[in-house]
Amino acid sequence: MKTPKSFEEGLQRLQDLLAQMQSEETPLAKSVKLYAEAADLICYCNETLAQAKLQVEEIDAKLAFASGAEESI
Amino acid sequence: MADYISVTALNALAKQVLAQCEPLSALIVCGEVSNFTRHYKSGHLYFTLKDDNAAVKCVMFRDKARLLSFEPQNGMLVLAYGHATLYERDGTFQLYAEYLRPFGAGAAQMAFDALKKKLQSEGLFDPAHKRPLPPMPQCIGVVTSKTGAALQDVRNVMERRWPLVRLLLAPVSVQGFAAEQSIVAGIRALDADGRPDVILVTRGGGSKEDLWVFNSERIARAAYACKKPVVSAVGHEIDYTILDYVADLRAPTPSAAAEMCVPDQARVQQEIFILHENIQKNMQSRCQVWYNELKRLSAPELTRRQHDRQLHCEERVRSLADTLQQAARQKFTHTGGQMQAAIALAASLNPYAVLARGYAMVTDADGALCTVEDLYAGQPVRIEGSAMTALCTVNTMEQNSRSNIDENAKEL
Repeated sequence: MKTPKSFEEGLQRLQDLLAQMQSEETPLAKSVKLYAEAADLICYCNETLAQAKLQVEEIDAKLAFASGAEESI
Repeated sequence: MADYISVTALNALAKQVLAQCEPLSALIVCGEVSNFTRHYKSGHLYFTLKDDNAAVKCVMFRDKARLLSFEPQNGMLVLAYGHATLYERDGTFQLYAEYLRPFGAGAAQMAFDALKKKLQSEGLFDPAHKRPLPPMPQCIGVVTSKTGAALQDVRNVMERRWPLVRLLLAPVSVQGFAAEQSIVAGIRALDADGRPDVILVTRGGGSKEDLWVFNSERIARAAYACKKPVVSAVGHEIDYTILDYVADLRAPTPSAAAEMCVPDQARVQQEIFILHENIQKNMQSRCQVWYNELKRLSAPELTRRQHDRQLHCEERVRSLADTLQQAARQKFTHTGGQMQAAIALAASLNPYAVLARGYAMVTDADGALCTVEDLYAGQPVRIEGSAMTALCTVNTMEQNSRSNIDENAKEL
């Protein structure tokens, strides 16, 4: 399994996998492959959620402040 | 002739005198606005401040006027911050306003209503412009005070509900003179940063005056101009600000805003669980379908083939059996015929039948058939007829005459 770029991507992929598995046209071998990927993704999503910690970062608004002051309403 | 001075000198003098009067250089004057005009070209504001007994002309230059957080209107009670002096050209005493703020609840409400009406007519509150929030934002920009309770509330809720999110804080002052500029800058900086999926502008509860800055036209326009959706949460549930109307979503409190911005961890876990179950069930049912398919295809096919083969074999066996039977019957008939012929032949050759016609058979003492020519005189012999046997002894042997034999042959 390729590790998804983000949790959201992982969840989205999981939904896609289910849709593909539900398709009548998906052959047996492919389904088994999809199933394996889905199992890994579920692990990934659960772990990511369990280990997540809120990150806070600050940005400096002073530059924008300077440019903003030039404009008038 | 009395000394005189020019009008210019008079006004200059008056101005000079007034300049020496310390209180006039930094005033806060309360009065009602009248004759309000915004010069269409220069952008300066001209109006008269009056109360029951007096009036004074006021001017507010463009660079100050554009910092106003509301649109002054005739009849509005305001506090004007500035200095008073003489305008020499016209000889008028006037107030140079640097800052205005609505005075009292009525004036504030008027300013609020006026701005609301103006922005509404410009379409800033248009529901069609409201953008949906991303269901699962990865980064949320927060415009608030770094030290305020609002930020703490937001952090707590996010930590609990959706710790996957990253908060990008633009620390601003949410109170006082610099607040407006600071908040506008914060909004713009976050929007320009590109990382935030949504921008939250918030502050905790406070007095109406504390929250007044969020009624700023400039903040409203900055929020409206954002590429990303903006959520406002100012004060408590009952406090409505102009920003609330412009924002894509208005939350009653900072905590509520945080809840609206991120999904609930437990719900998403539940969602994953259901997905997992569905995938599991799907796989099971698919396997069942495949198995059934296999069975459906193969079992009857096999049976049919087997049946076919069986029929074929039976047919062969039957045909072989028929052939065999026919052959046996033929053989039997054929052999039977031969046997009948043989029996007839055998019957015709039966020596005992000859005996019945009067012939006799000569055997020696041991029962062996003897020809007459082999007999000798004195030999005991047995002569067998059809019914009786005679035990005899040969007396003599004599030669037969030829003719006698031939005569016998003719008779036969």
